[in-house]
Amino acid sequence: MNRRELLQCAAILVSGVSVSRLGFSLSDEQWTYLANAPDYIARTPAYLSPSQREIIAVIADIIIPETDTPGAIAAGVPRYIELMAADWLNDQERGIFDAGVAYMETAIPEEYGLPFVQLNPPQQLQILEAMEAQASDSSWYELGNVQRDFVSDAPFICQMKELTIWGFFTSEVGVTQVLQYDPMPMHFDGDTPLGPDDSSSPEFLI
Amino acid sequence: MATGTDPMIAAQHIDFDAIVIGSGITGGWAAKELTEKGLRVLVLDRGKNIRHGTDYLGEHAPDWKAPFQDKPDRELFAREYPLQSKNYAFSEFNRQFWNNDRDNPYISNPEKPFEWFRADAVGGRSLLWGRQSYRWSEQDFKSNSDDGNGIPWPIGYTDLAPWYSHVEKFAGISGQAEGWPELPDSEFLPPMNSFALERTIKQRLAKKAPDLRMTIGRSAVLTRDHNGRSACHYCGPCHRGCSTGSYFSSQSATLPAARATGNLTLKSDAVVERLIYDEQSGKITAVQVIDANSGERHSYSARLFFLCASTVATTQLLLNSGSDKFPNGLANHSGALGQHLMDHLESTPVVGIFLDDMDRYYFGNRPNGSYIPRFRNLPGQDADSEFLRGYGFQANVLRANWKMAYNQKGFGADLKDALRKPGFWIWALTGFGECLPRPSNRIALDHSKLDRFGIPQVSIEFDWSDNEQAMWKDMNQQSARIMKAAGAVFYQGMGDTNTAIGGGAIHEMGTARMGNDPAQSVLNAHNQAHDVANLFVTDGSCMTSSSCVNPSLTYMALTARACDYASKQLAAGAI
Repeated sequence: MNRRELLQCAAILVSGVSVSRLGFSLSDEQWTYLANAPDYIARTPAYLSPSQREIIAVIADIIIPETDTPGAIAAGVPRYIELMAADWLNDQERGIFDAGVAYMETAIPEEYGLPFVQLNPPQQLQILEAMEAQASDSSWYELGNVQRDFVSDAPFICQMKELTIWGFFTSEVGVTQVLQYDPMPMHFDGDTPLGPDDSSSPEFLI
Repeated sequence: MATGTDPMIAAQHIDFDAIVIGSGITGGWAAKELTEKGLRVLVLDRGKNIRHGTDYLGEHAPDWKAPFQDKPDRELFAREYPLQSKNYAFSEFNRQFWNNDRDNPYISNPEKPFEWFRADAVGGRSLLWGRQSYRWSEQDFKSNSDDGNGIPWPIGYTDLAPWYSHVEKFAGISGQAEGWPELPDSEFLPPMNSFALERTIKQRLAKKAPDLRMTIGRSAVLTRDHNGRSACHYCGPCHRGCSTGSYFSSQSATLPAARATGNLTLKSDAVVERLIYDEQSGKITAVQVIDANSGERHSYSARLFFLCASTVATTQLLLNSGSDKFPNGLANHSGALGQHLMDHLESTPVVGIFLDDMDRYYFGNRPNGSYIPRFRNLPGQDADSEFLRGYGFQANVLRANWKMAYNQKGFGADLKDALRKPGFWIWALTGFGECLPRPSNRIALDHSKLDRFGIPQVSIEFDWSDNEQAMWKDMNQQSARIMKAAGAVFYQGMGDTNTAIGGGAIHEMGTARMGNDPAQSVLNAHNQAHDVANLFVTDGSCMTSSSCVNPSLTYMALTARACDYASKQLAAGAI
């Protein structure tokens, strides 16, 4: 039996085990083997309307498009954004998100005569770039401001970029098809060649 | 005072030769050594029962399986883990190992704050530790007597050297033998490989800062199969638990060895409330234990008692085990118990950016850095320095990736391409400095505030002395010199003002110190309480000074040495 088979067996053995919670604040869900758990985005979001979902998907696709590798849509990023908006953002952040969605849904058609998702791609990009220009004073853009949980007062466009990029590069598609990923390297070599088009490894070293 | 026959305590008279309280680094070693000497041992841990391998729930789990794809659960962490979640190793992938802060409060003076990072699982912090393993030097054991701070150590390097070897051969320490007196070599497994950048920096330092030495981190991570445990597979985050046992923990190494003797009984969820002292015999006769789940009380009797519960918890237990004979805490005729709390002065990271070796990369995730050992105030040098003792730098290499630049402007294919490719190299230095033992840094009980078991909470006060303030400034200057010599194109310094909080290095120690003088110390040269012959304390609380190197290896060696002594004393009828 090799190591991967061993881990799979361990995962099957442990999944569904219940453990006494008395005195401790562990969730029941935690007592499952995470590697064997459903993907985070496997759950069904119910926060946005169908037309709002389309807007979010178009924005995510503009931020991380399909190129010679898959993009945000294939990685399930729109679903990630909706789940995070519902379950993870705090009230202040959710208020900014909701207002941003409402702006895209109502103000943009008033100004351009068509819903955002029906505009042509250069127009859509121009709108997002204008939003980014307007947001450029936000501390979200400060050099090195990445080692934190979230910037609570960040404008909608920054929220969309952060959730899209994070959702993409932590997704199975992004990690396994865009980055260099080997979950079981078996050895360490600190002096391998790096080509000009090579991707990075998904993990920081610790 | 209560004895083992208190009718309020459920009668459950199970006799053991020895009881070990705590199953972390030192408790695991005490269990192994004592059971292998033929003693029947009960190990008690307040934490939940984590099973090696099968309960490492986050091991090898990719980000896309984690709640929120590993964005932290802010609401939960703030409510249940406001302190523990500050630690770099804390995440949803290993939350089951950590202490719940809300359920287990302690008191920290806001003017003199102290952070108590705590595990809550069998195996304790040995599941979570950084695995860096360094011997103390001869000089380290002499520092107190040389400069008059604290009291002299009752032992020296030669007393401990064979026990370092003993624990290293079992645990497995990878590293490079160097022959440096300030950092004695261990019994090494082969060293881990280096990054190209580390070799570049090492060559530059040899030319531009020849007083410095740099070596691969000495780590309790296996570089080849060892004692039935597998060589590291370089997946990266050790602190999620390692089912191949590639890093040393009680779970992977010492507890299985103890179990194999047939002499081990291990009870999880067992909160030790107090030790029962018998005035007639002058010994501990039993421990009083509360079941963390049911709240039921039991007592267990034994002939020998090892306290390995971690510095703060061991001190709390001794303070809470007072009696008519020991009104200020068990084995505390000296009054030293609870005083002289130390931690290491851990700097903020000094982060340097390097554009060397940009066409080189790495394969695998090395769970180890490199080390620049103490180079200040070594014997015969730096007589003009403005501080006593010294510090070392731990150095880590990172290659920037999307996580360091996701807040940039732009959209589309160019942004995606920029994010997927590696950025510059980073080499980060973190200083760890020796802290002086001072009576004002102390742990006490607050009888007005009880925890959920009715045990008085500990109240901790800690601040840095002028010596550590001066040491910080020196670290700041020297780290800048090192970054320049190493060839950083830019570096972010640690600043001139000490921002460290006591406990932050998680190297707390010193509150039941060893010493030859029973009027000034709690423990003798064999970690035996001066006042109580069958009581031994071998966790960090026994430390008389703090050195600047990571302490766990020294705790292991002291524990094995104390177990040898105690079992011989027991056999000779002296205990």
